[in-house]
Amino acid sequence: MTAAVQVAGLGKRYGKKWALQDATFDLPAGRVCGLVGANGAGKTTLLRMLAGLSKPTAGSAIVEGRVPGDEVDFLSEVGYLAQEVPLYVRWTAEDHLRMGAALNPGWDDKGARDRLESLGIPFDQRVGTLSGGQRAQVALAIALSKKPSVLLLDEPVAALDPLARRDFLSTLTEAVADTDLTVILSTHLVSDLERVCDHLVVLDAAHTMLAEGVDEVMATHRLLTAARRDIRDLERDHTVLRVEQTPRQVSVWVKLEGPVHDPLWQVSELGLEDIVLAYLDRGRRAAGRATLQEVTA
Amino acid sequence: MSWLLWRQHRLQGAVAAGVLAALGILLWVTGVSMAHTYSTAMSVCRANNTCGELNLFQGDGALVALVNFTVLVPVLVGVFWGATIVGRELDAGTNQLVWTQSVTRRSWLRSKILLLLVSSTAVGAILSGLVTWWSGTLNSYHHERFEGLKFDIQGAVPVAYTLFAAALGLAAGVLWRRTLPAIATTAAGFFVVRLVVENFARPHFLHTITSTGAIGAGPNAPLGSWLLSTTVVLNGDVVQGAIKLPVSCAGAATRAGASKCLADLGYSEVSTYHPPSQYWTFQLTEAAIFLGLTAILTLVAVVALKRQDA
Repeated sequence: MTAAVQVAGLGKRYGKKWALQDATFDLPAGRVCGLVGANGAGKTTLLRMLAGLSKPTAGSAIVEGRVPGDEVDFLSEVGYLAQEVPLYVRWTAEDHLRMGAALNPGWDDKGARDRLESLGIPFDQRVGTLSGGQRAQVALAIALSKKPSVLLLDEPVAALDPLARRDFLSTLTEAVADTDLTVILSTHLVSDLERVCDHLVVLDAAHTMLAEGVDEVMATHRLLTAARRDIRDLERDHTVLRVEQTPRQVSVWVKLEGPVHDPLWQVSELGLEDIVLAYLDRGRRAAGRATLQEVTA
Repeated sequence: MSWLLWRQHRLQGAVAAGVLAALGILLWVTGVSMAHTYSTAMSVCRANNTCGELNLFQGDGALVALVNFTVLVPVLVGVFWGATIVGRELDAGTNQLVWTQSVTRRSWLRSKILLLLVSSTAVGAILSGLVTWWSGTLNSYHHERFEGLKFDIQGAVPVAYTLFAAALGLAAGVLWRRTLPAIATTAAGFFVVRLVVENFARPHFLHTITSTGAIGAGPNAPLGSWLLSTTVVLNGDVVQGAIKLPVSCAGAATRAGASKCLADLGYSEVSTYHPPSQYWTFQLTEAAIFLGLTAILTLVAVVALKRQDA
């Protein structure tokens, strides 16, 4: 299993503020990876650096064996769809497909046309007059038809209605199904992840908090509940993400590093959404503590 | 790349071609007619020795004004082409679409700049060619091509102005990354630089010639000179304001007589000018200044875009 994307200590600073700091993860080829993080966690910054649109301040990124940059060899390997779905609003979909054909040697014109045709998107209408969902589909068709090895999608569905979102994600799933395309899809809609992703990267302002296959994530994260008791043993053996205490009961979200020995803990499975939320919540509390320390210092 | 440029800028190209064609037809028709009027009038007046009384083209004020307005064409090129060619892409975010196709940012920018500079040169050259040719008749009649506005719309300088405006727009678009401020900066910057060069640099490209002549005889400079000033001098001192006619000259019956009387008292008129033989030196010097600025601004745009994140 080779890594399609390798990110090590990657950071980006704008002025004095770090938009992303110390992101580190490897993404195996052929995975569809959900990139999750709160607003401002640096998802867009990360994807822009992977697409070669922005230069890192610190650390390194390798995509398909190449440093992202202004080189044809790199650019032809990477598809990118920016958050605001930039298209030439006065152009038709047809114009955009011709642009794709003109600018990309490996352009799959038939694939692009079939895709848009099956979605009923008019070729001869200005894209500025299409719906948000249709525009996103046109942009996705362009990104897919240049036949990249890695596809970077920055919250492409965030602004879409539920139906358009479903259509977009099913187009994506179909396109990925019979290829070894690697996808990174940033989103804050965790429910979408379960539908399309088999890998997960959770990002927080400080650093990467989790980067694993969804199966491993599901297998290693558990909710432990018991009558109120000391959790220090748990904290020693496992990674505790979140603790909720009531006067009578304690619930602990953990990433297991081995079996739970204490039979008093009742172990139950967690949904992907619960796991992601536990990480995001932990990140926020850590950030809150950090801010507090800065204030008192 | 060429398909992209064609698709993106064909409308602008068509508009420019249409405007230039319309102007070309107008100037061709009127220019031929003016040249004919002039040569007929000249041959008649030479035969009768009445060329000093010629009074031609009095009804052509609107046409002359229209031709004078072509002094604004460079700033239009700067605003509509220069400021938008990259600035609008950065503004709309479409640069992110293009820069993630299999074409480098470098070659994209190179093509855009090449298109901008070549088409600006073409517009400037065609426009200047038309106006210079059309002005031929008036130049021989009025001998004013070295003066102010006439200098600005003929010869080499319109091409240099157009290139400068385009490069200024390009740089403003890259630095602002937004279309409207880029347009405003281009328009304002163009006028400021043009006025500064015209008023403070151009008069000093070469040393002026100063010559003293009889008072009342008009400027003592060759026909077609760029006359910078004429002053009345009395025994070496500049006379400010209107001359009070001395009592001794009050008896002069004619204007010529009064002038003669003043000359006898030591009054004379001093003219400062650049002679017409220096016309092309001035044209080429001014063009060189604006071409230099064009090169600098283009370089600024390239470097700034390279350093910026998308």
